[in-house]
Amino acid sequence: MRRMRVLSDSQTHVDGLVERELELATLDAAFAEASMGRARVVLVTAEAGGGKTALIDRFCADRARSTRVLRGACDALFTPRPLGPIHDFATDVGPELRQKLLGEAIPYQVAAVLIDDLRGHEPTVLVVEDIHWADEATLDVLRLVARRIASVRVLLVLSYRDETLDARHPVRVMLGELATGVAFTRMLLAPLSSEAVSRLAEPFDVEPVDLYRVTAGNPFFVTEVLASGSDAIPPTVRDAVLGRAGRLSGEGNALLGAVAIAPPQMELWLLEALAGECVAALEECLSSGMLVQPAAGAIAFRHELARLAIEESLEPRRRLTLHRMALAALADPPAGRPDAARLAHHADAAGDADAVLRFAPAAAESAAAVGAHREAAAQYARALRFGERLTRGERGDLLKRRAISCFLIDQYDDSLAAVTEAIEEYRRIGDRLREGDALRIRSDVGWCPGHIAASTRDAREAVSLLETVPASRELGLAYANLGSLHKDAEEGREAKAWAERAIEVGRKLGAHDVVLRATTDIGAAEVLAGAPEGPARLEDALAAAGAAGLVDQVGRVYYNLLGPASATRNYMITERHLAPGLQHCSDHGLELYRLYLLAHGARVALDTGRWDDAVDGAKAVLRVPRSSTTPRILTLVVLALVRARRGDSQVRALLDEAWALAEPTGELPRIGPVAVARAEAAWLDGRPDEVVEATDAALDLAVRRQSTWRVGELLSWRSRAGVRDEVAVEPRGPFTAQIAGNWLEAAKQWTQMGCPYEAALALADADGEEPLRESLEALQRLEARPAAAIVSRRLRTLGVRGVARGPRPSTRANAAALTAREFDVLRLLADGLRNAAIAERLFLSSRTVEHHVSAILGKLGVDSRSEAVAEAGRLGLLQDP
Amino acid sequence: METYVIVRRSGWRTADELQEAARRSTAEGEHMSEDVRWIRSYVLAETDGSFGLVCIYQATSPEALRRHAYAAALPVDEIVAVADTLVIRADPQPVPA
Repeated sequence: MRRMRVLSDSQTHVDGLVERELELATLDAAFAEASMGRARVVLVTAEAGGGKTALIDRFCADRARSTRVLRGACDALFTPRPLGPIHDFATDVGPELRQKLLGEAIPYQVAAVLIDDLRGHEPTVLVVEDIHWADEATLDVLRLVARRIASVRVLLVLSYRDETLDARHPVRVMLGELATGVAFTRMLLAPLSSEAVSRLAEPFDVEPVDLYRVTAGNPFFVTEVLASGSDAIPPTVRDAVLGRAGRLSGEGNALLGAVAIAPPQMELWLLEALAGECVAALEECLSSGMLVQPAAGAIAFRHELARLAIEESLEPRRRLTLHRMALAALADPPAGRPDAARLAHHADAAGDADAVLRFAPAAAESAAAVGAHREAAAQYARALRFGERLTRGERGDLLKRRAISCFLIDQYDDSLAAVTEAIEEYRRIGDRLREGDALRIRSDVGWCPGHIAASTRDAREAVSLLETVPASRELGLAYANLGSLHKDAEEGREAKAWAERAIEVGRKLGAHDVVLRATTDIGAAEVLAGAPEGPARLEDALAAAGAAGLVDQVGRVYYNLLGPASATRNYMITERHLAPGLQHCSDHGLELYRLYLLAHGARVALDTGRWDDAVDGAKAVLRVPRSSTTPRILTLVVLALVRARRGDSQVRALLDEAWALAEPTGELPRIGPVAVARAEAAWLDGRPDEVVEATDAALDLAVRRQSTWRVGELLSWRSRAGVRDEVAVEPRGPFTAQIAGNWLEAAKQWTQMGCPYEAALALADADGEEPLRESLEALQRLEARPAAAIVSRRLRTLGVRGVARGPRPSTRANAAALTAREFDVLRLLADGLRNAAIAERLFLSSRTVEHHVSAILGKLGVDSRSEAVAEAGRLGLLQDP
Repeated sequence: METYVIVRRSGWRTADELQEAARRSTAEGEHMSEDVRWIRSYVLAETDGSFGLVCIYQATSPEALRRHAYAAALPVDEIVAVADTLVIRADPQPVPA
């Protein structure tokens, strides 16, 4: 275990914990709760030097006797080691994890082993420190672990510096996702109070008021000032650290310099190589408290702030020499393979271009292999900074790889810039095969943020270029890409034609993945058009991709299956594939496809009357600041429709944003849903005249694309607003009956499909009291206030009296004064579940469930569970809300 | 957070029920203090003798308020975002419900 730091500093006696009783108690309470069977996450945040590690040290030391503690920390390297913190505790977990890490394990495999281990060793405290420096693969592991440990007895403690994270930082995004999964507590460590600083200063000859003023109560700063032993208070942390170092011998200072160049810690053998004789001063540095021994055979600074101060104070030539020596030593380590990421770091700092070009690309490749694409992109950038001596072809290849890494982490600007440069390099040397392939990549990259025209231009140019050289896998991919673009624009005929050419090339060359890709696009176009062979074709593709181990392709098939299925309300497909699809994307870190599936899932929830689930799904997508616009557009629409249907405010801003993203793309799948939502919002708001304006452009496009479903959707809203259109496309689905004025048939079809809101709206088109009353009741059940108000008005116009406001679901629950939680428990009781099963389902402890059950019995005035279910049924508490 | 007005008409038959609802509301509000903050409420004397509420809340979204209402079993008729506040006089002395 690394970083079990020396807790008390023999020379200064100031490392004891001050003013952290509350925080320790919170950690203890969280641990107690975790031990009861409900996983907890505690986030410890503070500024640099704010005392995160000291607090965690104490908590772990208190736990370590009775509980297993796994502890790792992220590196303060420009390009951190992938899975660094996991390596830290791998030896404590067992051979399987170590084995995984030795190979190029991808995050989901690491997470799976870790989760199994956590289940087998309950309770465990798992600590990962400094996650603001975490590499992407580590964040993926944490995300996966947090999603699956809800019922495991584990306390996960994560620490980070809050001030370094802006809203787009991957750690923020990860934390946002955690918030919906497990119970978590955020703990902000406040600076020390002036009283505490005075107490600490007491044994020393320092003016406490000045000390507090200069340090602002930063615990690390205070400690350093007191340990520096000077009379004057140094003005900055750096001065304090240097003052403390100044009290050491010359050898001690030389040793500190050597340790400082290799964060986060240095092996003893390496230190010997760098410091030579000065290693003799190690004992002095350790007992002064500036250095610690986090693990056997390793040396580190007590704090990253101290390391930084020493590193910055190194004389430039000395720093260069140290990095050169480290490079030579690490290239030939006494045990194990050389670590390319560390070598690239020292090569860069030593200004050794040859070494950078050798190690940075290698480090990039191993990072990319474990899904740490952010680190890979940074390593490629590092290599390219030293790229003058490369040939154009070599430079082009590095640029292309960097472009792909940037694309995978959604940095489209950087990706487009890199691939554009690559195209230029290939063009200059007349390498048409690679130029064509790079054009195809740029087309793919440009599509996601919505640069459709440029993307299409690139796709066509790639094809014409690649057709001038002998048939290649690249040509197959270029055909498939062009087909995909047409499919995404819902141009079915063109999509199929290009996909078939891709399949032909792919078959000839034995390029299985090209064939699969193109087949998937054909299937997606078929599902959208309602062609019966579509689902089977995609399910075959899914099985084939799975059997071939093409993990990304499996994700892509799910995406192509569920998009068209949710748009055309094919719930046979969504029922069957949405959950496994999400699981697959989550397991394999396919974040972009996962966002699409979440967006489609939110839409399905909205359309099937589960509005709370729709909101949850939509917010999960909107929290992620991606530049890919389609999932965002789709979920903005979902959230806007939930608000509009409930009569809540702030609808327009959401739809305006969605429209601003969708409109410039000219693509029907993005424009269509926004137009339909704008029409509905206008109608609910009593502005039916705006329906036509909102749908004109989309209808025109949908007719040109022969989209029978979307034409029906748009026409149904226009007919509701009193407009009759003559169009050349025959709509399909319940819309046909609805537009023809056959509301009863339309309502029947919507009900069969499982769309209660649409069914109620169809009945609202009726002019008889009976169907209108039925519509009103259904709308009230859904809490669809504006639509209910419209139907009430119609009823009153018909002269019907006594149109009641009707029961509201929340007041129904109120009849027995049950809380929402008790209500959840009651429902599961009615399903015949026992306490343990209920506890598992609701992520509660069995004891809590017992409490709820006895509260329910009390409130219903009954003595047994079966009586409770019967009484609840009598009171109507068990009807669907 | 933004400010919202929530209308809950005729939710409670007696003052005791209302007190109980206020307790639940406070308890649930504590669980979601990052999303929802109860500012104040006006108790409505409904014509049928029951009680309603007009509540002022701060919240991150209308959905957060709905979630809170569901968890605390409070009825919701309408949630409206507040664009601006004009304070003419301080609220009159509260009368216990």
